[in-house]
Amino acid sequence: MSWRRVFAARLRGLVFRDRLDTQLDDELRFHLEMQAEDNLRTGMNPSEAHYDAMRRLGGMESVKEEYRESRTFAAVETLLRDVRYAMRTLGQNPGFTAVAVMTLALGIGVNTAVYTVTNAVLFKGFSYIDRNDRILYMTSSEGCCVSYADFEDWRAEAKSFQGMAIVHGVQVTLSDKGGFPQYRYATEVSADTFRLVGREPILGRDFAKSDEMPGAAPVVMLSYGFWETRYTKDPAIVGRTVQINGAPTTVIGVMPPGFIFPQNQDLWVPLVPTPNVLKRANRDTWFVFGRMSGGVTIESARAEMETIGRRLEQAYPLTNKGFPVVVRNFAGFYIGPNAAVIYGSLWGAVGFMLLIACANLANLLLARALSRSRETSVRMALGAGRWRVVRQLLIESIMISALGGFLGWWIAKWGVRSWDLASRPPGYSWFAQVLDYTLDYRVFLYLIAVSAGTGLLFGLAPALRLSKLEVNATLKDGGRGSTGGVRGNRLSALLVVAETALAVILLAGAGVMIRSYLNTYSADIGVQPDKLLTGIPNLSASRYPDATARISFYDRLETRLEAIPGVESAALASSIPLWGAARLSYELDGAPPVDDQSRPTLSALTISPQYFRTLGAAVLSGRDFNDSDGFSAPRVAIVNQRFARRFWPGENPLGKRIRLFSSNTPEAWLTVVGVVSNILQSDIARPELNSLVYLPWRQMAGGDMNVLVRTSVAPGSLRTTFQREVHALDPGLPMFGPFTLIERLQTKYWDKGRYTGLFLIVAAIALLLASVGVYAVIAHSVSRRTQEMGIRLALGAVARDVLSLVFREGMQPVGMGLAIGLAASLAVNRVLKSELVQVSPDDPLTMIATSAVLILSAALGCWIPARRAMRVDPAVALRHD
Amino acid sequence: MKDERTAKADVLQGTLVLLVLRTLEALGPLHGYGIARRIEQISEELLQLNQGTLYPALLRMEQEGWITSKWGPSEKNRKAKFYSISAGGRKQLTRETRDWERMRSTIDRFLGSIPEALGDEAL
Repeated sequence: MSWRRVFAARLRGLVFRDRLDTQLDDELRFHLEMQAEDNLRTGMNPSEAHYDAMRRLGGMESVKEEYRESRTFAAVETLLRDVRYAMRTLGQNPGFTAVAVMTLALGIGVNTAVYTVTNAVLFKGFSYIDRNDRILYMTSSEGCCVSYADFEDWRAEAKSFQGMAIVHGVQVTLSDKGGFPQYRYATEVSADTFRLVGREPILGRDFAKSDEMPGAAPVVMLSYGFWETRYTKDPAIVGRTVQINGAPTTVIGVMPPGFIFPQNQDLWVPLVPTPNVLKRANRDTWFVFGRMSGGVTIESARAEMETIGRRLEQAYPLTNKGFPVVVRNFAGFYIGPNAAVIYGSLWGAVGFMLLIACANLANLLLARALSRSRETSVRMALGAGRWRVVRQLLIESIMISALGGFLGWWIAKWGVRSWDLASRPPGYSWFAQVLDYTLDYRVFLYLIAVSAGTGLLFGLAPALRLSKLEVNATLKDGGRGSTGGVRGNRLSALLVVAETALAVILLAGAGVMIRSYLNTYSADIGVQPDKLLTGIPNLSASRYPDATARISFYDRLETRLEAIPGVESAALASSIPLWGAARLSYELDGAPPVDDQSRPTLSALTISPQYFRTLGAAVLSGRDFNDSDGFSAPRVAIVNQRFARRFWPGENPLGKRIRLFSSNTPEAWLTVVGVVSNILQSDIARPELNSLVYLPWRQMAGGDMNVLVRTSVAPGSLRTTFQREVHALDPGLPMFGPFTLIERLQTKYWDKGRYTGLFLIVAAIALLLASVGVYAVIAHSVSRRTQEMGIRLALGAVARDVLSLVFREGMQPVGMGLAIGLAASLAVNRVLKSELVQVSPDDPLTMIATSAVLILSAALGCWIPARRAMRVDPAVALRHD
Repeated sequence: MKDERTAKADVLQGTLVLLVLRTLEALGPLHGYGIARRIEQISEELLQLNQGTLYPALLRMEQEGWITSKWGPSEKNRKAKFYSISAGGRKQLTRETRDWERMRSTIDRFLGSIPEALGDEAL
């Protein structure tokens, strides 16, 4: 018990240090006076009396010292003294302090930001769903696609799960209050989905089994956010009827605030297994979630599901061959299979960066420590212990890292916010905010740990070096501190080697990522994407029942759009570049017949005659489509160069014939009438998806078409005009967009661009740090060798000699670091291989560019101090002490 | 002078607390000098108190809560710090007295049980 009282008393002692000091003085003075008076009374003379009093007390100062040690925590008090001392030294050298703190703030801040994001994506889980560690996510083959019939078998057979739910994201048109219909994001769910994830509506009722029966009255569940914004939280909405896809639908309930599942949506509707849905061959972007029963592990659940999948493959080879069951954890739905690689390498990259920052600071501190070796020697000569000296220096470095950590916190905050904004695809403000990027106490602890760790890391090496000083030699040396020179230099050079190597690794990584990104993003789409505007009017089956009605609508729309000032041409297409194409079974004329199962598929697009002109692609041979390519005319097709080269290498594709199959029945033969330049419909890394066949839309008029407009003005400025023309034709028509083509392409590539941009930023910071590091070392060395330079110049050396002297010293470790870094990056870049498109991990161009950039910036780091060395005035230098 | 001092016993390690508490219990509030003088007087100047060690000891005892202190006027109306024993201090005094008694009787028994000759040899 008593230690607590003592602790409290000592704490008070710490706080009221100064007051207690004067009190002790008073008490001791009183004691001495009393003793002296008593002594006088025994007959001593005054000076004798005073001396005896002092002797009996045993020395004022040692009493005070002993008293102080008991009064409060001795360690704390010396610590406070060291901290005050460190603050004074740091304050005396504001330039050094600023560079050190900023370097560290950058390193720690970026590291913490990336930790926050990585932690959110990989480890924190998706907290808005209860116990989601017990929920698994299942598909057939990686990513896509589940057949509803399979799902029913899974649900019936699997013993590992309490329940399974199937979901499907759709776009619906919603009109209420008789207003203009709007596109809304909805999710079709099986009736027990909400029970599976453990959430209940806050208003109304949950979906019931009867709601998903074919022919059941349509019902809809609202998300809280939608209820709030659209219906101002009107509780009377439950039971009201709205129109969804034109059908009267009853609102049955509202889900709790913040609840979304599985992705952001406004509405949920039951997934009704119609006969079409139930066809086993029908695979769609359905996703299955299952909640594991107690005691089941993810491994055992996966094993069971894989067994079921294999059985289904054997039982239904026609539809299921090649569709094994893939089981992943809940987060797997959101982050994709490569997330661990991407985020892991990102984290590794910023970790490297922090190491570089540490190396830099160690170098700066070392340089400074050497110039302070006389001070340290004096302190050690006066009896300061080695630990005391080391501790003093460590406190300095920890104070730097604490300041760096403090600033780093703000950098991290800013970084995470930018990341958050950047992670929403352009043009899609609704994008799921499922990840929790808050900087909570865990992030704070991480920051503290990183700050303390870096403080120790970069402080320890110089501190230990300094504590091994030869006291006598340094004192005799007149304080120029050149005694430790050779060893100090070697350590500095080693650090430069290390940080150069790290910068090279990061630069090379960023380099191949950039090349890969450039390959995917700009190089080969095959169209001129700027000045294009695109939207998808949604023609309902009731108002546009047949091809004639649809063709008539599109014809009139095209005419109206082309009449807009600033519009050069308009065109239609079933899809836009990079957004994929329909996969259709086909047969080439003259190819050996195959059975229905193994019939190959090709990628096809239906387009209007203006399509190539509007997009800026060229018809290379043969002819473009024209308006007479209709139902009554001979069936024709245009292929792109890639298709022609792949299927008819060395032959003239014009006049060749292809036929398509719909449900295993062949359609009429199509004659190739033209060859066009390549347009990418899919990722450049997948050439088989980019061998394209184009079909005239008047012969194939099917689903909703993308309407594309090439403008002579900024495309974004014509958005409302575009919309107005659509509504002039049909006031109630919902439309997706219009967006500029650039916006839609960016949506496709924002992810890759984001990672690449981040890599680039990190690498740029690393490069900056490495050059500052070289600069720090060389600047220090030059200032220490001022005298030597002066002598050299006095003895007839010319500026060039001095320059080459400095450069030799500076560039030697850089060269070594470069060599090591290049070798290491060959290994490190392999990690990125799965993310790279059309560039090898050891791309020579990247390696050369990396080396050039690095050598240039290192040379700059040498050049600044070298210039100073050349300007040394021998007379001044020789007097310099 | 030197001989005189060696003839006196230093205050045994750990007994200073006992002496101070006993003094304060017997005489009531005293300042540091008073305590020092009292210990020396009672022991008829045989105990040589290093007066300097008294003050850190007083501080530790105060931190333990055995004594309390208060500034007040001394005999000659000078400002002095007066220490007095607390309830906790009385308890501690009982404990320390008991410990001391036990220790003394143990040592006594020990000295009484061992033959003189052997004791000399051992020394």
